[in-house]
Amino acid sequence: MTPSIALWASIALGACAQVFLKKGVSGKSQTGYLSLLLSGWVWAWALCFALATGLWLIALAKIQVSYAFPLLSLGYPIVAVLSMVLLKERVNVPRWIAILVITIGVAIIWKSN
Amino acid sequence: MESQAFLEKPAMQAVAQKQTAQQSLSWQWAALAAVLLASAGHLLIKFGLISAVPSAAGMDTVARIVHYLLQPAVAGGLAIYGLGTMFWISAVSRRDISFLYPITALNYVLVSVGGKFFFGEYISAGRWLGIGVVVLGVALLQLSVQGERT
Repeated sequence: MTPSIALWASIALGACAQVFLKKGVSGKSQTGYLSLLLSGWVWAWALCFALATGLWLIALAKIQVSYAFPLLSLGYPIVAVLSMVLLKERVNVPRWIAILVITIGVAIIWKSN
Repeated sequence: MESQAFLEKPAMQAVAQKQTAQQSLSWQWAALAAVLLASAGHLLIKFGLISAVPSAAGMDTVARIVHYLLQPAVAGGLAIYGLGTMFWISAVSRRDISFLYPITALNYVLVSVGGKFFFGEYISAGRWLGIGVVVLGVALLQLSVQGERT
């Protein structure tokens, strides 16, 4: 696996993990940690998080951290779309504009490599 | 009785202070702790990976991941990152993820500056511009949620 492929896969899996975690903890009490273990979404978070971490190490070993790390912000549009679909969260127009600006920033970093 | 009260008082105060601290640990502080710990963790991971790359030559993907994980600096960095994740979970349980996740963009500035100063990475004008645009987007994101109550 090339460092570049590992980087993009890590970014996508990491973003998915965040939404799965929110799905898993939604409506749970602060002290109900045991009940979290019974949630499939929490297991999905753990799996995606572990894969994202392993791939992140593969990528970061060969790629500059000041390039690879800012590219993680590609997680914004991924999280925004997934949180609309899975969490029914409202994403208003100003927030979409902000997410678009962030995505442009990622594209500039990527293209200026 | 007085001596007992005197002895127990500090312990009771400590318990009371701990309870107060737990109650006042707002999502803002939890998110800030998550950001700072994540940045420090990733820089430590990068530090450990730099010295581990030569000895990982020829290994397949899984073996390389295991090799990297066995580096003390990588494991330590992941532990610090994991501690940050604990704070993150605390914050996530109280706010919308689409609002909270962008706060981690502060990490991009901290980690990039760290990459330059600790590892001598050359950051081109274009890369700085891109990082700046990302931060601008985050600022806009904060504006987009003003007045919202979740």
